[in-house]
Amino acid sequence: MSVHSDKAVDTKQIKKALAKHKNKMKAYLSHCMHCSLCAESCFLFMAHDKDPRYMPSFKVINSVGSLYRKRGNVDRTTLEKIKKIVWKSCVLCTRCYCPVGVDVPDMIAFARGICRSQGVCPEFDETGAMESWL
Amino acid sequence: MIVGHRKALDEIAGMIIDHKKILIVGCGGCTSICLAGGQREVDGLDADLRAHFEEGGGHVDTDVFTIERQCNADFFADLDEMIPLYDAVLSMACGAGVQFVAERHPSVPVFPTLNTDFVGVDRDVGWYEENCRTCGDCVLGDTAGICPVTRCAKGLFNGPCGGTRAEGTCEVDPEVPCAWFEIHKRLKTQGRLSMITKVRPAREWVNQTRRTVIQEPYKERYTK
Amino acid sequence: MIEFIKGPMVWIAFGMFFAGLVFQGFRFFRLTRRKERRLIPAPPKKAGNKQTKKNVPVPTREGMWIQHLFWWVERKFAPLTRLAEKRIFPMRNSVAGTHPIVTGVTVIFHVFLFATPIFLLAHNELVASALGFSLPSLADSTTDMMTMVFLACAAFFLLRRIFVHRVRAISSVFDYFAWLITVVPFVTGFLAYHQFFDYDKMLTVHIILGEIMLILVPFTKLGHMIYFFLYRFFIGSEYSFGQGSRAW
Repeated sequence: MSVHSDKAVDTKQIKKALAKHKNKMKAYLSHCMHCSLCAESCFLFMAHDKDPRYMPSFKVINSVGSLYRKRGNVDRTTLEKIKKIVWKSCVLCTRCYCPVGVDVPDMIAFARGICRSQGVCPEFDETGAMESWL
Repeated sequence: MIVGHRKALDEIAGMIIDHKKILIVGCGGCTSICLAGGQREVDGLDADLRAHFEEGGGHVDTDVFTIERQCNADFFADLDEMIPLYDAVLSMACGAGVQFVAERHPSVPVFPTLNTDFVGVDRDVGWYEENCRTCGDCVLGDTAGICPVTRCAKGLFNGPCGGTRAEGTCEVDPEVPCAWFEIHKRLKTQGRLSMITKVRPAREWVNQTRRTVIQEPYKERYTK
Repeated sequence: MIEFIKGPMVWIAFGMFFAGLVFQGFRFFRLTRRKERRLIPAPPKKAGNKQTKKNVPVPTREGMWIQHLFWWVERKFAPLTRLAEKRIFPMRNSVAGTHPIVTGVTVIFHVFLFATPIFLLAHNELVASALGFSLPSLADSTTDMMTMVFLACAAFFLLRRIFVHRVRAISSVFDYFAWLITVVPFVTGFLAYHQFFDYDKMLTVHIILGEIMLILVPFTKLGHMIYFFLYRFFIGSEYSFGQGSRAW
């Protein structure tokens, strides 16, 4: 469920946003050594029985990484998937650690911003869902 | 979490009446969660303002944008570029966020759209209750987790005032349970009733001047 | 062709390596800005405010023993560690406390990755004949041992990437390629030195692979070697080494 579920996704707007921070984001994505040493720094990873889907690296690779891989040509379904990752699997507590120094919260906030620009954002009074947003 | 509620539409409209281009900025943090100032509420305010001004035969030029947090500079990159293009900003963050935006853009008027109420808990969706008044000197360990500052009408620290009604409610308001009655009950359940006779000295009221917190491991970094 | 590879191409590869690193470094540095430094007077000290180190890592099974070791060292050499923390280097129990084995292996891997080629006698001979000076060299037996240790560390990383589920979950083809292009120059150099197979051919392959690796470093994830310093030393964050005077 999203705020504007009937509007088509404005891929031009997304591409513009991706291009604006391309240097920094692509550098982050490139320098992520896929080492998974960030995992234990995320309390959600620890709380969910060390499920790899809660690793900060996993979250950014499958949100921001996914957006760049698809070059911004995403549909609402993909944005909903990304929404699940950057809002349900992350609370932006900014405690994530990376040995190389990749700024994970920056990337999560960036992905959230792109989702928001298309009206995809969490609704904290969503009913009917088994899990809450928090 | 910080809880607030939106001001009356008339009041908000009155703030921006002399300004042409308005940016309504939402916050993805506390005010989103308490359904006061998130992305959806921003759209709601946008629609309300347009309708309000159109009713009066006028027009308002508004744009919307939501950032993750208005209390941390790390989230301001995109917003900082946008604000100079507007005549005024309506912030849907808590008072802290409004001030932070205003501090970063001193030449643009930043107006609060919310009344920031308290630090509280979620009772249910849309229902929030105050629990903490951030006094800076927490005694919850002695009072079995019931805050005498918040829950006692008189803010008493050393037992009830003597005006507790027979039903265990406050003499000021019969709808409100007497905090010290509740504290007594709970301490008894926990087998710690001796805490109730502990006398606390007069409080140092520290919330009258602006407070700063620097966590211990960072003292070297920020203090001279 | 071979003369080109052994001659001008070496210069080109090194040139692209150094120029690329400098260029990327500057390009990235330009995205940052200096933070406003505003030191404030210390808030009044409240009694009993001693807090633990800010980076107490999440204890894992293998990490707990090194955690205890760190704490013991800290207590035993308290004045020294406090001084080091204040003046030299923040002695934080960071990821070393959570993943001591990986941290240890990666430190050895990276130190030997640089030290082996730089202090190799054969390389220094070539550098001396090209530039007129060179760095001091280690004995061949030493660099041989270093190469073997390096390859063992590299093997550890490959096995970790294949067999550890959470690392495999985020691994891509390029990760394996990056591993390969880093390791094969060492393997071929080792084989050439020990004259397994045809020396000339092995040496040529070694040179080509080394050149490819050097050229790729500034433009791929192998460039993390320079970004590590930018990210961890310059950008201020919870985990920065030192004060971190810059921000995005």
